[in-house]
Amino acid sequence: MADSAAPAHTAKTVYHSVANTHPVKVAASGVEVFYADKQALHGINLDIQDRSVTAFIGPSGCGKSTFLRCINRMNDTIDTARVAGSIRIDDEEINDRAVDPVLLRARVGMVFQKPNPFPKSIYDNVAYGPRIHGLASGKDELDAIVETSLKKAGLWDEVADRLDQPGNSLSGGQQQRLVIARAIAVNPEVILMDEPCSALDPIATARIEELIDELRENYCLIIVTHSMAQAARVSQMTAFFHLGHLVEYGPTEEIFTNPRDRRTQDYITGRFG
Amino acid sequence: MQLSLITALALLVLTAVGFLAGRSRALALAEKDGSRLHSLPGYHGYYVALWAGLPGFAVLAAYALAGTMIVNTIVLDRMERAAEPLQARYELALANDDIWSEAEREIARLDDEMAALRGEAEQVIAAEGVQSDAVEALRARQDELQFAQDDARFTRDARANTIAGDIIQAVPEAGDHALARAGFEFARLPVQEREVFLADARALAFGDGLASRDTPELRATAGALQPVHSAIAWGACLGALGLALAGLAFARTHLAVRFRARNRVEWVISATLALASLIAILTTLGIVFSLLFESLRFFAAIDWRVADFLFGTQWSPQTAIRPGQIGQSGSFGAVPLFAGTALITLIAMMVAAPVGLFAAIYLSEYADSRVRAWAKPALEILAGVPTVVYGFFALLTVGPLLRDFALFLGYEDAVTQSALSAGLVMGVMIIPFVSSLSDDVINAVPQSLRDGAYAMGATKSETIRHVVFPAALPGIVGALLLAVSRAVGETMIVVMAAGQAANLTANPLESVTTITVQIVTLLTGDQEFNSPKTLSAFALGLVLFVLTLILNIIALRVVQSYREKYD
Repeated sequence: MADSAAPAHTAKTVYHSVANTHPVKVAASGVEVFYADKQALHGINLDIQDRSVTAFIGPSGCGKSTFLRCINRMNDTIDTARVAGSIRIDDEEINDRAVDPVLLRARVGMVFQKPNPFPKSIYDNVAYGPRIHGLASGKDELDAIVETSLKKAGLWDEVADRLDQPGNSLSGGQQQRLVIARAIAVNPEVILMDEPCSALDPIATARIEELIDELRENYCLIIVTHSMAQAARVSQMTAFFHLGHLVEYGPTEEIFTNPRDRRTQDYITGRFG
Repeated sequence: MQLSLITALALLVLTAVGFLAGRSRALALAEKDGSRLHSLPGYHGYYVALWAGLPGFAVLAAYALAGTMIVNTIVLDRMERAAEPLQARYELALANDDIWSEAEREIARLDDEMAALRGEAEQVIAAEGVQSDAVEALRARQDELQFAQDDARFTRDARANTIAGDIIQAVPEAGDHALARAGFEFARLPVQEREVFLADARALAFGDGLASRDTPELRATAGALQPVHSAIAWGACLGALGLALAGLAFARTHLAVRFRARNRVEWVISATLALASLIAILTTLGIVFSLLFESLRFFAAIDWRVADFLFGTQWSPQTAIRPGQIGQSGSFGAVPLFAGTALITLIAMMVAAPVGLFAAIYLSEYADSRVRAWAKPALEILAGVPTVVYGFFALLTVGPLLRDFALFLGYEDAVTQSALSAGLVMGVMIIPFVSSLSDDVINAVPQSLRDGAYAMGATKSETIRHVVFPAALPGIVGALLLAVSRAVGETMIVVMAAGQAANLTANPLESVTTITVQIVTLLTGDQEFNSPKTLSAFALGLVLFVLTLILNIIALRVVQSYREKYD
């Protein structure tokens, strides 16, 4: 990670110097993604710290969601997608053939743009992960996991008396928190969030952002967002993507106050994107 | 006919003229006023054209539908009034005639005697059964009485004919008298022959079709029909044209720069669309009512023993040659048919539901796009095979195979035509229904739900079982119920492969029959349409209709209740 004043418009990434307060959780090097013949990501090198929030920003189609989906190998579910390069979580290569993506996804939870609770009750939604992964050895333990997860997601007080109602009966913001509780329930190390607030109103958004800030205590969070204000509010580190390249990466404050690449500057001042 | 055709063409021309007139007037108005029209000039044109065309065509359509009926009613009424003196003379002559009166009394007496005999027979049958000598003797006695009554009827009718002939002879053939003779003859005709009489008269009057006879009475009727017919036809056509012209002129005066022609045309379009849906609904109602009335006739024919029909276990619809024949009333217990239908449907669904569903899951979730590209159409070819061909297959291949297999296993009574072979083949037939509909439903489950499950670390089959399947369940239930209705209504395979014996059995290796098969056998071939045997087909049809209706209602309920939960 060189602290160099690179000129604008190169394929080279600008890395800001980072005070390494937390150990590196996810380390990507040379990640490339192809959809059929189209290359969506070009040689991404990026180290993401544990117990912090890292925001990916950039205009639509810049590859930030694609990169996010590499971290839990969700791109495997797309037939035409092909991933190259190395991603290591805690120094373990996840693109290795020996790694079972099903187990990986239990360690790397994901929250999507649109709340997608399963067609089940609130309880069963949260209990789903622990059940399929055999994390609870009895009804009591499962109840405890569900309660803790809902509490961590800040939803317990609102749903404690109606756990048997369908997940879809909740409001949009509650559904998104339910989905977060569902992800937390399997006790992941990393939580990926793909524009988690884009379908929510400002009040629900504020509630989720608050929650993200609380979750930072225990998890490595990576969030893709279109709202630069949101990135500024919730994240410690920010990565700016453009046309499949990682343009600039550094502490959020620096990226927003002192962007070094011309494209980053244009984007955050609203000149394009 | 030609007159109304010319009128229709004239109406079309008037409609076109209306369009042009409306459009040009709108343009002229806009120019004069110097401001923008509310609606485009074309809408003004349509507005005037609709006013010119619709009322005229409505009158023409009404004439086409009811014209003949109105003409007939007027002429028949005239004939009836002309024949009143003849009719009075005839009735008086009958009452004073000894032979006729004697025959009439004899018929009534024999009716009473036969009614008493039937009462006696019911007791004897209850005591000794249908197959006893006593019943046989009673039946012979009934035949005697019946023949005596037929003789008396013959005498009475012959006498009446002679008297009527005498009265007609006394009336001259010419002028108004001819019409009176025609009215008298028409009144004496049995109901079925009145249609023929009218058709013949119309043939003589207008040359549409060939007359089967040519009598002075028919000529007189034809002569009466002609002027009435042309008056009504001219009236309708001129009325239509007049209305069209009036409508055109009326609509033209409406046009103004601020006139909302566009909204008016919109209203006509929505009314047209509503009419189309109304036609569909009314047709359904019509079918239901025709089914209902024929069924009521059937229930009347079996003395309203509806419970016997619905819950009776004996189906043998042979009925008496003559009404009221002792011990030959037929047995209309439909339970064996219901049971047969249920058995075959159950077997079919046991094949179609799992195979169709699994095929759908494979195609939508596992198969890659190349396999899907040929597998899905290939599966749907099954739906294109004519049911008769499935029937062959069941009869010639599956049936013998199952029989031999059952014999091999030591089941001695195995037959070729069995519920099992029909059900299995029918199941294969409805696989594409289940798979194709379920495939669509599964594909409609949002990808975000699958992503959610994968992101939780669920495997593919876990995702399908826990998330995709429950989300698709309402649609899948709908698909299955549709397949059930299809199976219940299927006829051809069952006719060929399941036999026609109305056995009440749960053994799939026996022959059974279904509701639809019985309807076919009851209604094909030479049938009288007023014997209970034939009419029972309509009652069965009604039951089938009610059954599928209930099935559909349940399907809708199920789908709705799941919708509330999951969407």
